Formats: sequence, structure tokens, C-alpha cells
Amino acid sequence: MPEDRRIGSILVVDCGTVMTKALLLDRIAGEYRFVASGEAPTPRTVDGTDIIKGIFHAVARISHVTGRQFFDEIDDLISPQVTRQQGVDAFAATVSAGEPLQVVVTGLVDDLSISSARRAAAGTYSQVSAILGGEKSANLTDEERVREIRGTRPDVVVLAGGIDGGAERPVLDSAKAATLACAMMDRGKRPTLLYAGNSQLRRQVTEIVGDEAELRVVENVRPTLEKERIWDARQELQTLFRQRKMHQIPGVATLRAWSPVPIMPTAQAFGQLIQYLWYLGDPASGVLGIDIGGGNTTIAAVFDEQLHMTIQGGLGVAFGGGRLLEERGSECIACWIPELIQEHELEAFMLLKGIHPASIPQTDLELWMEQSLACAAIRGTMEIARPGWKGTAAQVYPDLTPICDTILISGGPLTRVPRPGQAALVILNAVQPIGVSTLILDRYGLAPALGNVAAVKPLAAVEALDAGGFTNLATVVAPVGDTADPGDTVLRMNVSYEDGGVLEVEVRRGDLEVLPLPLDQEAVLELHPAKGYDVGLGGPGTGGKRQVSGGMAGLIIDARGRPLPLPSQPAECRGQVQQWLYDIGG
Amino acid sequence: MYYASATKISSFTTIRRDRVLPEPGEVLVDPGDRVESTQVVARASIPGDFRILAVGRMLGILASEVQHSLQTELGSTVHRGDVIAKREGLLGRSVSCPIDGVVTATGGGRVLIEAKPLPFELRAHISGHVLAVENNQMITLETAGALVQGFWGAGEESVGPLKFLTKRADEPLEARTIDASCHGRIIVAGMILDEEPLSRAEDIDAQGIVTGGLSPELLSAAKQLPFPLIVTDGFGDFPMMKGVFTLLKDHEEEEASISGQTETGHRARRPEIIIPLPNREPPVYQTQHAGEFEPGLRVRAVRAPYAGLVGTILDIPQFAQRMESGARVRCAEIDVGQDKPVVIPLVNLDVLR
Repeated sequence: MPEDRRIGSILVVDCGTVMTKALLLDRIAGEYRFVASGEAPTPRTVDGTDIIKGIFHAVARISHVTGRQFFDEIDDLISPQVTRQQGVDAFAATVSAGEPLQVVVTGLVDDLSISSARRAAAGTYSQVSAILGGEKSANLTDEERVREIRGTRPDVVVLAGGIDGGAERPVLDSAKAATLACAMMDRGKRPTLLYAGNSQLRRQVTEIVGDEAELRVVENVRPTLEKERIWDARQELQTLFRQRKMHQIPGVATLRAWSPVPIMPTAQAFGQLIQYLWYLGDPASGVLGIDIGGGNTTIAAVFDEQLHMTIQGGLGVAFGGGRLLEERGSECIACWIPELIQEHELEAFMLLKGIHPASIPQTDLELWMEQSLACAAIRGTMEIARPGWKGTAAQVYPDLTPICDTILISGGPLTRVPRPGQAALVILNAVQPIGVSTLILDRYGLAPALGNVAAVKPLAAVEALDAGGFTNLATVVAPVGDTADPGDTVLRMNVSYEDGGVLEVEVRRGDLEVLPLPLDQEAVLELHPAKGYDVGLGGPGTGGKRQVSGGMAGLIIDARGRPLPLPSQPAECRGQVQQWLYDIGG
Repeated sequence: MYYASATKISSFTTIRRDRVLPEPGEVLVDPGDRVESTQVVARASIPGDFRILAVGRMLGILASEVQHSLQTELGSTVHRGDVIAKREGLLGRSVSCPIDGVVTATGGGRVLIEAKPLPFELRAHISGHVLAVENNQMITLETAGALVQGFWGAGEESVGPLKFLTKRADEPLEARTIDASCHGRIIVAGMILDEEPLSRAEDIDAQGIVTGGLSPELLSAAKQLPFPLIVTDGFGDFPMMKGVFTLLKDHEEEEASISGQTETGHRARRPEIIIPLPNREPPVYQTQHAGEFEPGLRVRAVRAPYAGLVGTILDIPQFAQRMESGARVRCAEIDVGQDKPVVIPLVNLDVLR
């Protein structure tokens, strides 16, 4: 839609699985400003989420604060604005409520076609309910494959496998098994088959599927051993998500009638904002966005101008804990909790959180459990995302997180922590950034909204961002290398403050330290890494100067190592986690 | 702030429930009909088992030769043990059918045998009358009676008379109290803290268990039970809420319909106990609407350290308050019958309606 210069007030809503947020932007003194926000639980019923009711409740909070009326007597949106107290000029909405697309992936090799197909699926709100192929299920019989597909009742089966001109028979066998499974299901309940494998088999696959199922053919997600091409498959899966899931949510039709632009999945809007942030920074570095909510975890990353989206549908701090316990065991969560906790206690906590998803922790133990769950969910999502970033300029070390200038943190579980150091520690433990990064907190949940507003009125998004919609959480300096012994110096650093003060710091391997650098203050860092240690300024042993900003959690030096080592003994691990919490002020 | 969750606890209300077939089928009742809880109200056929037999591999022949080896035709009914393919000669072999069914597909050296669809019968589950029928798949039933929504549940549905095995709402269930008289009954107890009563109830063929609290260590065992189990108050040594205990006690030995089905994802389903009371004039049906928190509402805390505490909202201060965890949130002051009110975040309150 062409930008409408007459647009003044804009109401933006984000319908989440657990909470619905509403934001009002308006022109004040010639510039767009964030005026007010409201939040309310998204009502859930046996039939799914009631997003319209959630919007009315959230917008009612804005009405309460501003006195503005948004809806008329028949609950229709008043648009365009009648007066400054009645109606809005534009409305935009993002949606993450609703069920994710259920996907079954078939492929041949875990690290190749299966991994690429999983990343393609993670480009939209999806949940991979079964993987047929790879090391664990290479020996499945046809009957077992059919049983799995029929049993999981997916929305889509992604048929991957075989580089172009490569393997044929196992790929065709997968297509046959998927077709047979479809033939044994009611026509109305059959999944769509998305063929994203060996491109030379397209004709045979089309013949095999015949009219037993809807077949969509896209580019091979792994055309060669080295190349991954998931864009085509992602687009198709995003379309399927919109058609089969998002547009089916009761109330979305009403939103479409109110909005001049298409309703956008929250993650997509979030990704747009991360892309915008990348254009503002150093093109050699990347920008990372982490959005963790009650029902989903999203990682949006931009490297070399390209946006990489990784979404774990159904994995958030309210729903998905049980799935983590089942798939990875309790240790993936318990290892981040500084107190001894039994598996059944964790299970009970996950169930409680699922039953009352909007509830918050009141005690330290429950807070740690929730933050540990967030950490495990982000780590799991990073595992899927990271291989897709290989080969980008920012990825200096193949198995580590690329160098990111900025890491934006969004989502209630991390933006509403009692102490800012807690949010920072979750991100450090889960993302494990390297070099110098600024952690930014989206305290008011603006990120998806601003990404969406950019579609209606780009200027409004830019001005609202400039007006301080986000808050600096911390600047992190994380040297990487493995040549030093524990306790050896890995970095010498001078911090020159704006008031002329200079702090000299010697960082030893294993340290996690917080130096004073409050919000709205800047400092110049002079970094001298030890031989073999890299702070992202040009390689191991290369130092330099960086101007950095302060944050709520100060200036954090994380020399614990990458990948982050955790003691193998549970008691020792708890002690270590407790120490880190103490060190960071959590 | 609108409240996130509400638990319905009513001694007499009008209840509507949808009964849905897993596949479209035949509905056996009409709007206005009276139904009993155990009455079959609809039936359907659901897909049965199947087998894919790799005949070519089993007989050691080429896929193209399989067609000649078949002893049966596409669409034929076959029985377990029937020879469906045979290789003649000195090294002759045969493939027997592992299930009763129909040969529905052949190709690629394989044969697909699908068992006959399984009959599925949908019972009313609650006594009442039929309000509406939709698409040969869904029936809406209405009844008047007592309704208690639970906190968490396991298992499916069952119907049976309520039998109390603890005298008090805060008394743990002991296995020795479960005897033959519990056969076919729904056991009600203050709390369950060890596994023995669960095993005993299973041995005696109870129809279900309703408990105030359940030790979290018993979650796995609870999920394995052949009957529904409903936890009304929480995981741990929670007593059953007094009002619920008294309400259920008033209907001891009366028939209750219980459902342990709990959904915690994008859809929300709570376990429930329904006691139909058909001989009283039903009140006007009301849908549950989330409303605003206000003084006077009865609420229950859902998170530690006050989980399970029931009281009445006295006041909702305008400004956020700091919690033990350090979080600052809007709270309510709750009268729990002690000298001082307790302060609990609004989002951690479940409204009792």
C-alpha cells in the first residue's frame, strides 16, 4: 500500500498466545510518538483463542488512560479518526496466537537435507512433529512411516532429500509412503505434500502422488552438499501457515476488515524490525533478535543483509516446557537452576504454567525455573538457527554465534524480570555472544508493532524508535579463545568514562564481571586481548577502541569461554550457576 | 486489568456441553430428546489398523513378479492366516495375512491390507436433553446441576456415584480405606500423597478419583490410571477447597459425570465434575465471560507462596508493588480470614465463580 501522508494516529495490536498488546502511536509536535499501551490476557477456550475479546480488553486500557474511544456501539473500529478523542487513522495487527503448522519432515541425512528442511519449517510458526529419515529412523519400514504420518496428522509433509542429481530411491520411497498415508486418510484431512528434494525427481514424485494429495513443488532445500536453498520452501510454508492456520483463527477476518495492510504473523513483523536495525549498524556484523513469549520462541538474525528467521512454534515459557522435558530431559532446564530440583517438580511447574499461562513467579525458585525454561527454549532454537548462518561474514568461528553488534531482547519472560542482570544472564547463557555486543531490551513490547507499523507508515516506525522505544540492557565484551589456563589473563581493558575517569581492568579466563556503566552514559573501551584471544576487532590478539553505551545491567565482561562450559556434576553446576547469578547481580 | 482465568464452582447452574464424533457419522438423537449419561447418542466408523507387506522381499522375487504371486485380488476380503502370495517351486514360500481386512492397494512389490473400520460409539456422558445437532458430528447437550471445574486432570470420562473416603478436606487418602464398596464409584478425598491409594483404586475398579491436592511425584502414576483423576486445587499437599468439599459431600452417592481431559496449549480445557439435578427448574444459561477484577470477588491464588489460598478481594491498589522475587506488578489485597490481608499479583489470581 502506498504510504498515506494523512495518517496521524495508528493503533497497533499484537495478538499473542497468552497476552494481547495494544499500542497507540500519534503525531505529537510534528513527530510520531508512542502514546500509550494496554495489555490483557488473550482468552482461551476449548475452541481456541478469542483474539477479538483480547483486543477489546487491551484497547480498553488505552481508552482508560487517554480517554479516547476506539470502537463504536456495534464494536466496529472507528477509522479514520473523527477527533483526537475518537477513532484512529490506521490500524495494524500482528498475530502469533493460534496453533502452529504441524509438519512432518522426511529426508536422508541429519546434517544435510533434514537440517535444511527443519530450518525451512522454522521460518514460520510450525512444530515439527516427526522426522522420518536420518540416523535415528533410517531403518523405518514403509508401514512405520505411514503409521507415523497417519498418527501425527500433520498439516504438511516436507519431502526433502537427495542433492540435485543425487539419491533417488530413498527419496521416491518417502514420497510413496507419504502418498500412501494420504490415501488412507479422509480427503479433507490429508496433509499437503511439499516436495523440496532432488529436483531431477520432480516428475516421478508428481506421478507417485497423483491426485491422492495436494502436491506443491519447490526448489531443493539442499541442491548440493555445500549449498542450502530454503527460501522457496519457507515462502510456501509461510503461505500455508497463513491460509491453514492464521486466517482460520476466529476474529482474524474482522482484523483484516479493519486493517489497510495484510495481517502479519508477529515473527515476520519482528524480523522486519531486526532487518531495519541491521541497516543502522556495521554491515560486517550481524543483528540478532530474540523474542520469547508464552507460546513461541523466535530468533531473527540479519547477516550480510539477509534475514534468517527461526521460529519454534509451541515452545515458549507457558506452553512447551513439557515438550522440552520429553525431548531433551529435565537436565536441559535443571542445569540453569541454582537449587536442587526434582524432575517431577519441574513437570508440575510446567503444567501449572500451562494452566495459568499469564501467571508470574513470586518466589526466587519459580523465577529461576521460568528463566531456565526461557534459556533452554532459546538454546534449542539457536541450535536449529546456527547452522543456517554458516558462511556469513560475521561468523568467524563455525560453531559459535556470529559477531553481533546488537542483540534485541523481546517478550515478557525476559523484559519483565525483577533485576536486569537476570535477563542479561539468560541471553549470555543461551546465545553466547562473542566480541562486543549491545543488548537492547524491548521493555514495552514495541518490536513487532514497529515492524508492522513500518508497512503502514515507515516514518512512524522510525520516529517512534528514535524517540526511545527501546532501552539498553548492557554492553557485553566476550573474548573467545582457548589458549589460556583458568585464571590466566585473557584481556586487559581500559574504560574511559565521559567524566574523565579511567578504569583499568584485567580479565581472567572464567571471569564474569559487571563494571559500572549506567544507562544513558557512554564510555570508550580500549581492548588488549591476550595472544590467541579474539574480541571481534580483527582476529585473535587484535585489540582496538570501541565506543559503547551503558545499560541497566552495566558493562558486562564475559570471559567464561565459548562454548560455555558447565560443570558435569549437578551439585558443582548448581554452585557455578549460583556464582554467575551473584556475579551479574541477578 | 481483566482476569486471565476463572474456575466455575456452582451448586446449581445450567450446563451446556458439545459432544463430538471423531469423524462424521450417524447421530441417534434429535433436539429436545432426553438422554441418560450412558446412552449412545451417535456412532461413527473410524479408520482401523493396516499392514504393508513387502511381498517381493518376503518371497525373494522382483517387484514386477509380485502381481503373479498374489493369491487374492484388489478389493478382496482376507482373513488372518490366509495365504495372500505364494512362490512356487522347490524353494517355494508363502506370505500369510497378519490381520482380517481388505486388500486395498498393491504396487512396488508391496501389498496394503486395511482392517475394517472400527465402530465408535459416543455416549452422552451427562444426563440432560439435546439442544442441537450439527453436521452428523456434533450434539449440544444441556443439563441443570452442580458444576465444579478442576485444576488439572488425567484420563478421559466416566460416570458413577460419588464416594467420600476422607472425613475432612485436608485429610490424605489412605489405601486401607479403599475396599470393595468403591467398585464402580468415584472416590473423593482431601488429598493424595502416596501411590498406594492409586494402585488400590485401580485394583478395585473404581470409576474415578477426585482429590484436592496431588503430590507431584504421583503425576506419572496418575496419567497411567485406567479411569479419570481430577485434582481440584493443586500439586502438593493442598486440601480440597472447603466449598468444593461441602458441595460434593452434599451429593454423596449421587451420580456424577467426570472428565479428566485437560488442555494447556492454544486451546484451554479444564477437567470437571458435573452432577445433573434434573428435577429442579434450570436457571437461565450464562456463558462465561472474563470480567475485570473488583473488590468483593472471591479468588484463589495459583502461584507459590500462596498457591491454593482462597479469599476475597478487598482492594486493588493503583500502583505496582514489589514481590519477593523482586518483580513489580499490580496486585490485589486479599482477605483470607487472617489479621492482615495478603498481597498477590492480579495475574496470579483465579476468579471463583
